[in-house]
Order: sequence, then structure tokens, then C-alpha cells
Amino acid sequence: MNATKTIAAGIGLVGCLAFGFGWRDIQHGKLPPVRVIDSLFGVKAVSAASPEQIFKQSYQRILSSYNRPVKAQELKYAGMEGLMASLGDPHTVFFPPKDAQAFLEETHANFFGVGARLQTDPLGAKVATVFENGPASAAGMKKGDLITTVDGKSVLGIDIDLIVDKIKGAEGSVVHLSVVRQGVPKPVQLTIKRARIVAPTAESQYLSDSGMGYLQVTSFAEPTMMQFNQEVEKLERNPLKGLVIDLRGNPGGLLETAVDMLSMFVSDKVAVKMKFRDGHEEVAKTRDNLQHEFKYPIAILMNEDSASAAEIFAGVLKDYGKVTLVGTHSYGKASVQNVFPMVDNSSAKITIARYYLPFTPFFGRTVDQDGVFIKGGLEPDVKVDLDWSKVEPVLGEPAKDNQLQRAIEILKEKGPAPK
Amino acid sequence: MSENSKHIVAAAWVVAVAGSVVAGAAIRDRIDLSGPGSGPKIENLVASRDNGDGVRPQTEIPAGDFFFDLTEKLKQEYVEPITDDAKLASGAVRGMIGYLGDPKSIYMDKDEFRAYLKARQGQYEGIGADLEVLISQPNAKANRSVLQPTPTEEDSDPRQQALAPGGASVPSFPRLTVTSVVPGGPADKAGVKAGDQVYSVDDHWIINGDLAARFYKAEKDFKAKSIPLSALNDLRKEVRTKYERMLLPLRAKAKLFLGNAGVVKVVWDRPHVGQVTTSIDRAPSQRPGFTVNNDTINLPLTQGVPEQLHSALAGKSAVTIDLRNNTLGDFGVMRKCLAELAPAGNYGYEATDRNTTAKPTPLTVVNGNSKPPKITVLTDRTTRGAAEVLALALSSKGVAKLSGNETGGSREVFDVVQLPDGSGYTLVTSRYRTQMDIKTAKVAKK
Repeated sequence: MNATKTIAAGIGLVGCLAFGFGWRDIQHGKLPPVRVIDSLFGVKAVSAASPEQIFKQSYQRILSSYNRPVKAQELKYAGMEGLMASLGDPHTVFFPPKDAQAFLEETHANFFGVGARLQTDPLGAKVATVFENGPASAAGMKKGDLITTVDGKSVLGIDIDLIVDKIKGAEGSVVHLSVVRQGVPKPVQLTIKRARIVAPTAESQYLSDSGMGYLQVTSFAEPTMMQFNQEVEKLERNPLKGLVIDLRGNPGGLLETAVDMLSMFVSDKVAVKMKFRDGHEEVAKTRDNLQHEFKYPIAILMNEDSASAAEIFAGVLKDYGKVTLVGTHSYGKASVQNVFPMVDNSSAKITIARYYLPFTPFFGRTVDQDGVFIKGGLEPDVKVDLDWSKVEPVLGEPAKDNQLQRAIEILKEKGPAPK
Repeated sequence: MSENSKHIVAAAWVVAVAGSVVAGAAIRDRIDLSGPGSGPKIENLVASRDNGDGVRPQTEIPAGDFFFDLTEKLKQEYVEPITDDAKLASGAVRGMIGYLGDPKSIYMDKDEFRAYLKARQGQYEGIGADLEVLISQPNAKANRSVLQPTPTEEDSDPRQQALAPGGASVPSFPRLTVTSVVPGGPADKAGVKAGDQVYSVDDHWIINGDLAARFYKAEKDFKAKSIPLSALNDLRKEVRTKYERMLLPLRAKAKLFLGNAGVVKVVWDRPHVGQVTTSIDRAPSQRPGFTVNNDTINLPLTQGVPEQLHSALAGKSAVTIDLRNNTLGDFGVMRKCLAELAPAGNYGYEATDRNTTAKPTPLTVVNGNSKPPKITVLTDRTTRGAAEVLALALSSKGVAKLSGNETGGSREVFDVVQLPDGSGYTLVTSRYRTQMDIKTAKVAKK
């Protein structure tokens, strides 16, 4: 009787030990891998280590043995970036928390700031654009101003991202900037109250010389549809002979926005087909209640930096014969990504599908092993390289932008759109 | 049994059960971290260190779990089925090594690593030369983009990093440099010399911060109206041409280090001479092994050499040790050779920059050669790594006289680690310092 009891107790304890041993797998909902059990009994397991272990061993080794101090968190994230990179898909990437936040801000295009876009300058940060109706505009900031101090501290030679970080802050709080303005002897002091900023992604200009509208779309973010619509309306208050939509340098953004914008041109038509890994397809159609009557010919400017949603937008309009594509071939990003939030606020952007235009064959970019372009991207109807030889090009200024000039000529030849 | 002792027994059971579960989990942890029995680490390099420094990951989410979660996510969502888990793990390791931005801590793919291990034994492929990326600045962030850029959305094309504005403010001038040639090998026959820097390989230009710096200067000068537009445009043309055909330094190294056939055209920058163009036939080549010629010993630091050295020294009162053209030596072998040549004592330190409080590990000989011969060591700038440490250790204590006037300046001690898929990496663990170096550093601190 006593012996049975002892045996039962022993079995019970061994069971508990096994439970502890396998706990991690139970958490992950599977059985312990054979190799792990093997090594308990001294069985050699050559090259059968689990990927997780291979990673962990090197992670520990670097942390404990590398000659210089290593930040564990950053090392981990670098590992995750490398993991994603091993797939050879440049669009499947890992975002550490900081980048994940920046990515969110980019796609939502609103954040607490002063309402200006800055560009790098050796002396600090130069104001590239002041958003209309933003707090910076209200405080008197001008394009071309050179920001030299933020809250009394010099930003000379500091990385532009860090300057932007300093300027951003809580909604309603105040930031003091000192700016140098050309032709003004003393630095100008600006006091700006931070607010929620809706960054413009569509901006237009009526070119009265030619009677053309120039509409630059810098990305496809949440508010872009609305902004695009407003800019079209603004342009149409003028006698409009044609419209140039500039997608050069537009990296894309939200597919949904692009499809909504396409609905202004084509109603209830296939915009893009997505093919997923299991072979199933999804079709994104344009809506039937957003159509706008464009009574003038349209050209789209694009270059190798036009990608993703920008290419869908241009490609679909080309396929339905609505526009003339002018410029150079586009980037060739014919895949769809989804962003998956991870624990600790990092995120993973993963290619989940490839997309296909209504008629144009698959145009995904292929590169050689060094990352050099081989083929892909949309081909323009009229190929025009940006001309650097005569003047320093300024995009959007017909006199200094030969691609825009060419697009205007093409629209003039076409005349009003046939009914 | 009294009520009391029943309680005690019950409590003991609870403790035993809980203890078993915890012990089980602990055993599992140890196994997961210990790796397969055969060990991924190559034997006899640097003895494994324990984590005496108390460096332990202080992350909230354990790295292993994070890895697991991300892999699972990819398996569920990625557009193509994930069939090769090991590739993901190696990719993660590559990412971590790349993060270090250290030209001596390098990840190598399967082929590169195989060629590297063979070269350590003296058997070379390719052009028959050792090449290293030499970077003047110890700036991990700047080096990272040159050594192993991690693709991100905007910078997915590595060529863009050659012209990234960051390159102008933190110019990095990495040069893929020949550190030694195999005597009689293809590179030697083509006249390649240690110190030559690779400018282009088969008309592919090696990325170099110099171009970005010149370009941004020209842009600035043009804005300041001190150069004409034509001058800026000439440079633009150069940038565009090079941009179309560009190689990262480590990729160029693989092209020169791998393969036993085919001609490769290499243009070199030779210091004080200028550009030299060579056409080199890739072919197998071999470094001379352990040889004794009168009293001169050629001492490759490969397995088995310490034993040969032991018998070669017998009865000799004076020897000359040739450590020239000696770059990939094994640190474990080096230690044994040191013990054959020198009496017991301390021969300097392996010091780390990991933290300020860690004491450097002494390089100690316990059972040395109590009656060493008179030793002369031949060195030059092709004396690097383990060979260089051996030369400095011997001379620091006056055991040997250095006849060469220089050594290669590569005193990092590193581990060589192989991964299950055949790829591998080097990881710098410390840097050799003589006792004199340590004293000088202390004085400088004061």
C-alpha cells in the first residue's frame, strides 16, 4: 500500500516536472520539439536546433561577449529587421516603436505640431512649406525662414528629425522659435501654439499663362480624397483648359484613398485585383456615387519615385483611357501590405497580396542581387527625362520643369475632352 | 498521524509540486539556451566566457518570444508560404551583426563562410588575398549603412545610401583593402600588394563616401555661385553612372574571395601611386605551411602547429619566427605557441570596452618554456590578428626582438561562430593590450 502511494507520488512529481518543462510550448499551443527532449538524454542533434534557439543563442552571445556595450532592445529590433530582410521583399519590414509611431503619423497625416514642413539646412532647419490655416501661418512664419533656435536652444547643425521632434509637442502647448529671414536684419521671434495638424497632401496652382491646372499630390493619406476634391473645385473656378496631376515623388499610401479618388473618374469599375497567398482574389471596385465630370484633358506626371497607390491611381486611369502618362517609368510596387501591431508598440508591415491592374500586365519591380533596377513599373505614354542641363529644375514651375512643360503641350494638342 | 504532521506533509507536497514545475521550466530554459550538443561554435578559438559581467537582457518581452511571434505572423500572413525557418533565423542573426556596424564583426553567407574557414587553414579561392573593409571612424551608425544596410522602405535600394544626405554630414570612407596576398597566388602574380584599395570590380564601382561628400560640396558651391552649372552637371553624370553600377564593399569582397575560375578585372587605388588596373585569373592557391629553414620558422597559426613548433625548437639556442603574411590566425593556437616560446608569466591583457568596471583578462602562460631560445620575430603590416598579438606579447616582455618596423594594427580578438545552415560570423570580444598600453591609459586618465 505504502509502496503504491510512493510510486503514485513519484509519478505525480515527474508529471509536474514535465508540465514545467513543456510550459512554454503549452503557452504556444504545441508539443515540445523532439530536439529539446533529445538533448535531455544526451542525444546529439546536429543542425536540428529550432530557429528560435539559433536566434536566441546569438542574441545572448552578442549581449554578453561583444567588445562594446550593446543595447538589448535595439539589438533585438535589429534582429527582427534582419529576419524580415531575409525574405528578399523590400516591402516586408519591421518597425521598432519609434518608426511605428512615425509610420502611423505619416498615414494619418495629422499630428500635434505647428503646421510647417522643414528641410535640411546646414544652419538649422529651413521652412519648405507653411500649411494654410495652420498655427505657424497664423503666427507669421514664412516659407524660406531659417529656424535657428527652439525654445531658446540653438539647433545649429542638429539632425532635422531631432529638430522636428523638439518642435512637436502636446496639443495646446506653446513653442518659441527664433528664425532668420532674408532681408530682415534681426532674428524674428515666433510664438506658436501647437495644434492638431492636417498636413496637406494635395496642393494646386492655376497656371494662367497656359490656362492649365497644376495639382500636386504628395501622398495618399486619409484626408487626401477630401483635399484633392477641394483643389479640383478651386481650380475649376478658373477657365480650365487642362489638368496636370503631379505624382512625381509620391510614394503612395492608402489603397482605399486611391480607389476613392479613382471613383471621381470612373464609376463602378474594377480598379485593382488583389491575389493572396492561398490563391483567393479580392477585387476593389470604384464607387458609383462620387463621379465628377472632368471637361478637360488630363495628364499625369510620374517618375521612378512614384510608387504603390500612386501607380494604381495612374495605371487604372491609363487603362480606362482617362489620362496621358508623362515622365519616366514608375517604381513598380505591385504589392499590398498590412501593418500588424506587435507587443511593445513596434509593428510589422507584411506583404499580404500582389495587385494587378485592369488591363496592364503585372508590373512588379525586379532588381538584381545588388538592388539595381532591372524592370518593372508603369511605362509612360510620353517619355520625358527631367532636364538638368540648362537650369536647376524646380518642380511645378513650367519655366524650370521641362516635364511639366511637355505635359502642358500635350494637353494643348488634345483640346477639350470628347463628350 | 497527528493533525499537525498531516499539515506539514500537505505543505511539503505543495512545495514539491511547485518546485517540480519550476525546476522543469528551468531545465528547459537551460536547454534552449545551451544549443545543440555538437555546438555551433568552432572548437578552440576563444574559450567561451561566462556572463561574469552580469550582462543580461533587460527587455520586457523576451527576445526569443518576440522572434517566435514575428515568425508566426509571417507564416500566417506573408504572400508566399514560408518554407525555410532556418533562413529567418540566420537573417535575424545577420541583422544583429550588421547592427554592430563593426568592420571586424561580419556575417558571412554559406559560401563566404566556407571559403573563410578554408582560408584560415591556408587554402584560398578567388584571387588569393585577404581583404578587409577598413574604416577610419569607429562610428557604428555611419558604418552600418556601408557594411550592411538594413533595407527599409525608402532606402531599400542600397545605392541611395551612397548619396544619402547623412553621408555628407558624417562622411564615412570605407575602403576594401588588401591586407595580405598569398605568395605565388593569382593576386600576387598580377602584382597586387598589401595596402591596395579596391576601386572597382568588373566595372562595378565600390560605394565610397567620398563621392557623396564631393557631390554635396559641389551643390553648395553652385548655390554660392562659386562653380558653374556645367561643373555640377559633370559630377551629376559621374554620380548617375556610378549609381547604375555599384557594389557594396562586402559584396565586392565575396566576388574576389570566392570561386576557382574566371577572370576578374579589378581597378585598385594604390597609395602614393594612383590607379592600377589588373586582370586576375581566379584559381586555388595555398599559403606555405609550417616550415623550418635553418633557424627560420614560418609559423602559420593553424591546428597542429604548436606540436610541430615544440619539436622544432628542441636543441635550438636561437630562432627566427616569420609572422609575415599571417592574417587569419587562430587565437587558441596562438596561445599554445606563446606557451612554447615563452616562460610562465603575464603577457598583456584582453581588454573590453563593454563597461568601465570590467577588469581586463590577462593573457597568461602557466606552463611555459622555462629555457626559451633567443627569438627574433619578423613582422610587417601583413602581420595581423592572432599573429600580431603573438608578436606584441613576445616583445612586450623582452622574450623576443621584433625585426620588422611595423605590424598590421589589428589587435581585436574575436570568436568565429557557425550557424546550422552553414553561414557564420565573426564577433569581436576584446582587444589585445600590452601591460604598457594599460599603464599609459591609466596615466592618461589621471
